[in-house]
Amino acid sequence: MATNGRRQQIDDDEDIIDVDDSSVQPNQANYAWEEEYKRSWDVLQEDEHGSLAGVVNSLQQAAKRKRLLRDTDPIQRGIIRHLFVIIDLSAAMQEKDLRPSRLSLTFTYLEAFIAEFFDQNPISQIGLIGTKDGLAEKMTELSGNPTEHIRALKMKKFQEIFGEPSLQNALDLARNSLIHVPAHGSREILVIMGSLTTTDPGNIHDTITQLVQDNIRASVIALAAEVHVLRSLSTQTKGTFGVAMNEGHYRDLLFEMIPPTAITTTKAASNLVMMGFPARSNESAATLCACHGKLTLGGYICPRCGSKLCDIPTECDICTLTLVSSPLLARSYHHLFPVENFVEITWK
Amino acid sequence: MLFEIDGLPVYFPYDRIYPEQYAHMCTLKQALDAQGHGVLEMPSGTGKTVTLLSLIISYQQFYPEKRKLIYCSRTVPEIEKALAELKRLIEYRKSCGLDESILGLGLTSRRNMCLHPSISKERKGKVVDARCRNLTAPWVREAAQSGQDIETCSFFETLEKSDLREEVPDSIYTLDDIKDLGKEKGMCPYFMARRMIGYANVVIYSYHYMLDPKIADLISKEMSKESIVIFDEAHNIDNVCIDSLSLDIMRPTLEASSKSINQLSERIEQMKQQGSEKLKDEYEKLVQGLQDTLHARDQELVMANPALPDDLLREAVPGNIRKAEHFVAFLKRFNEYLKTRLRVLNVTAETPSSFLQHVKEITFIERKPLQFCAERLSILIRTLELNNLDEYQALQRVAALATLVATYNKGFMLVLEPYETDNATVPNPILRFACLDASIAIRPVFERFSSVIITSGTLSPLDMYPKILDFKATVMESYPMTLTRNCFLPMVITRGSDQVAISSKFEVRNDPAVVRNFGNILIEFGKVVPDGIVAFFPSYLYMESIIAMWHEMGMLTEAWKSKLVFVETPDAAETSIALENYRRACENGRGAILLAVARGKVSEGIDFDHHYGRAVVMFGIPYQYTESRILKARLEFLRDEHRVRENDFLTFDALRHAAQCLGRVLRGKTDYGLMVFADRRYARQDKRSKLPKWINQYITETSVNLSTDMGIAIAKKFLRSMAQPLESQAQLGVSLWTLEDVLARQRAQKERLEKGHPHQHLYQQYGAAEAQRLIQERATGAVYMDVS
Repeated sequence: MATNGRRQQIDDDEDIIDVDDSSVQPNQANYAWEEEYKRSWDVLQEDEHGSLAGVVNSLQQAAKRKRLLRDTDPIQRGIIRHLFVIIDLSAAMQEKDLRPSRLSLTFTYLEAFIAEFFDQNPISQIGLIGTKDGLAEKMTELSGNPTEHIRALKMKKFQEIFGEPSLQNALDLARNSLIHVPAHGSREILVIMGSLTTTDPGNIHDTITQLVQDNIRASVIALAAEVHVLRSLSTQTKGTFGVAMNEGHYRDLLFEMIPPTAITTTKAASNLVMMGFPARSNESAATLCACHGKLTLGGYICPRCGSKLCDIPTECDICTLTLVSSPLLARSYHHLFPVENFVEITWK
Repeated sequence: MLFEIDGLPVYFPYDRIYPEQYAHMCTLKQALDAQGHGVLEMPSGTGKTVTLLSLIISYQQFYPEKRKLIYCSRTVPEIEKALAELKRLIEYRKSCGLDESILGLGLTSRRNMCLHPSISKERKGKVVDARCRNLTAPWVREAAQSGQDIETCSFFETLEKSDLREEVPDSIYTLDDIKDLGKEKGMCPYFMARRMIGYANVVIYSYHYMLDPKIADLISKEMSKESIVIFDEAHNIDNVCIDSLSLDIMRPTLEASSKSINQLSERIEQMKQQGSEKLKDEYEKLVQGLQDTLHARDQELVMANPALPDDLLREAVPGNIRKAEHFVAFLKRFNEYLKTRLRVLNVTAETPSSFLQHVKEITFIERKPLQFCAERLSILIRTLELNNLDEYQALQRVAALATLVATYNKGFMLVLEPYETDNATVPNPILRFACLDASIAIRPVFERFSSVIITSGTLSPLDMYPKILDFKATVMESYPMTLTRNCFLPMVITRGSDQVAISSKFEVRNDPAVVRNFGNILIEFGKVVPDGIVAFFPSYLYMESIIAMWHEMGMLTEAWKSKLVFVETPDAAETSIALENYRRACENGRGAILLAVARGKVSEGIDFDHHYGRAVVMFGIPYQYTESRILKARLEFLRDEHRVRENDFLTFDALRHAAQCLGRVLRGKTDYGLMVFADRRYARQDKRSKLPKWINQYITETSVNLSTDMGIAIAKKFLRSMAQPLESQAQLGVSLWTLEDVLARQRAQKERLEKGHPHQHLYQQYGAAEAQRLIQERATGAVYMDVS
């Protein structure tokens, strides 16, 4: 009863993942008795009266407060973000210590994450990279279109996992794309790692040094334990590092990435960014779009070169102008001028 | 920070102090006040060295006696670390406005310190020593001064000409500092350090300078009686003592010594023909006896050398070895006798007295001249002005054997082993002269110095050391570790996932089920533990056989799917390469397993902090090889002389090594790691009670009887929770004290004393060490407390 209360609170908009539920699907490798011990009661401790209600209440309160107490100082944040998510697709993701398995939980959370990310950072872009069997592969290029990423996550070929990951290859792949993005945008990498080892072709510390030079921030969420190289990657590039304790904690860690981070280096000389605000056009006859080369009926016309694009925000494929709409910009502003925290007053 | 303990102002160079450091200081002060010896066990990685140094330096400078501090450590890196810590401390004291002149320095061998252009290139310590002597011996220098064309060492000559007191300002000199100073002034750093020892306030060097009778005689004999002697990392001190008095004689040794004897007699002939007066002078001197040495000892100027007992010094050198040629003939006879002994092809073990009896029967050599052998040889070498002393090592060894065997009846044993291993067919005889009593070598130290402190991370059970080293300890204390989070998790795995009990017991150790379960532990932990894992085996032999079996079972292939596997070998160079690659694999995220041996090089002195060791697995209990004759003799001796039961000693010895291995993983409070005891027998209370308190305190009932899968589940959870960010603020006041915390505690303690609460309360509040002190103080009426 009490356990469920807490779980629900953490996973409020997620499917309820009950750690007590040990129903093992048939034709899976592990038998139930080979599973590890679940001690979901460990998180709870009785209060002095021997009751759990007070503890659960205080847990809920603490979580709420944590969510409410945000940093409200207006600081300069990079609201135009370029984020590569590196997903470990190695055999270690098969582990079922996170229900239903590390991989499927990751994919479920990522879908929610991508939707939420674009909701809060409308003029930012995401790319996905998967790594398995010592190789790294781009699942999607950097783009501002959430449906594209979500489609990639559902593709069959990215759900097959085997071998060991290669952190260095993945980082290099991400870096090669990120060094070309314009200086006004932030360059970020998020590594989701289930494996405890990485198979690299060269010295990974060189890659980390390069990331630092290129001003790329790499954050890591590890699913098993603290691996030294991941920790040092995140500290050197000024990113964050977290190890997921359980499903709820994993989600918290992931969603902590959504608010844009503060800009530490202000060396960008030009503080003005040229943007176009295209108009939506509806046509009676289908014409080719500039982004996919497909025949479409509607789209946005770039104000500078006049080509048609399917979706905004994006960069014009012809003239590389950043195309946004004013509502999107306005929505990003709430990170820059956050609402002040509420002050708790005693009720009389 | 600056605080007071019983009116003694203590300068501590950090802003924060661990509670156990404070408790350690209190006990230490008590021991120093009482001028008694002490045994103190303090968890590893809690700043033991700085605690010792800061209290003792404060003590030394506060009281007018200015007792000298002699700090003995085990290895050169440890000495360097202690010196760096000392330097920092003194700088801190200076910055507090104290105007004091403290001279502190470290001493190490010539090999590490030599500046001579060609000698310093030599690799072997003994060669360096010998070549150095060739250039610096008094007769060589005399000859050079008299105008002969003989090479001398310019660094040594400059040193001889200058006044050290003037040239060297009082300060703290690390080993590198001394070398730099030597370079700058053109003086020999080794001899500079040796001469400065006499008036230094703090001396930091290796055990051997204190315990090995051959070296202690040269270096440590002029230390004042009030000096405070510290043995750090002293969990192995009994073995050091025993090794310093044990000798092995093999056939090559005897061959070399016959050669040297021939050289000696040639040299004597030569001298005679030259008509030198030196041999005559020597004879005259010997008639007078060893009076000079005796004179010094009577005034307590020098430390008693255990190889040269008092009664021997009172007598003159026996007539039959006074003349040089007689002595050489005597040595020859003894050497030949040893050769015949080595021809015997069955194992013999005998006491020194039966050996002497046999010597007398065969060669008519009496006990007395044998006793003087070593002393007489060194006098002869000095008289003959011999160079290249390293060529005479074998002979010195034989002479040392003669002296020791004739001097000590008790506590020694001679064992002749004709074959190296049990199934060898080619004889390679070794005559082992084994010291069984650790107290012989260390007795002069305890008798001479009023305060000797033995300290380490693993000394439990504490009452064992006073027994086997034969001394009375005024304070014995073991400190628990205060932690804000349980940053290490000891667990005892008693059976595999298939419920087969695992053990390294001799009867079952090669059972495939046991070996497979050991392998499974390694594989499973390899999968869940990030970065480095160190696994220890009881012996090389067992490790090799297990690795071979794992290989056959295909378990190694399974293990290196998740981690690279490295193995320690008896070869030091190989091991250091393995270690280097192991560290690299831990650093770049590949992860690695190091298979090592509990009594090997890796288990002593190499730290596996942070990612270099997230887990350490102890396969089995590292008992000694109990079939060894020397061990058997030692056990018998301990039982008869010190009333230590065989089993108690074996378990104590095994567990101190196990604890030492497991302690490698934790080097500080921000570090974390798993400690896995993989043997059924660790679950027993008698084994666990012998582990150090700070480890024992965290072994919970739930973690003493686990199967592999249960252990893995607990480990996973532990690793996850340890990876969460540590807030250093949370440590404050609990496992880390600021000055306010210390003062508040002292105030509370004072109030409590005035109120006179029952003792029970003190124990709860302050822990055993503190409470006992308070109770004692109250009993003697010495209750006072200064709170500044």
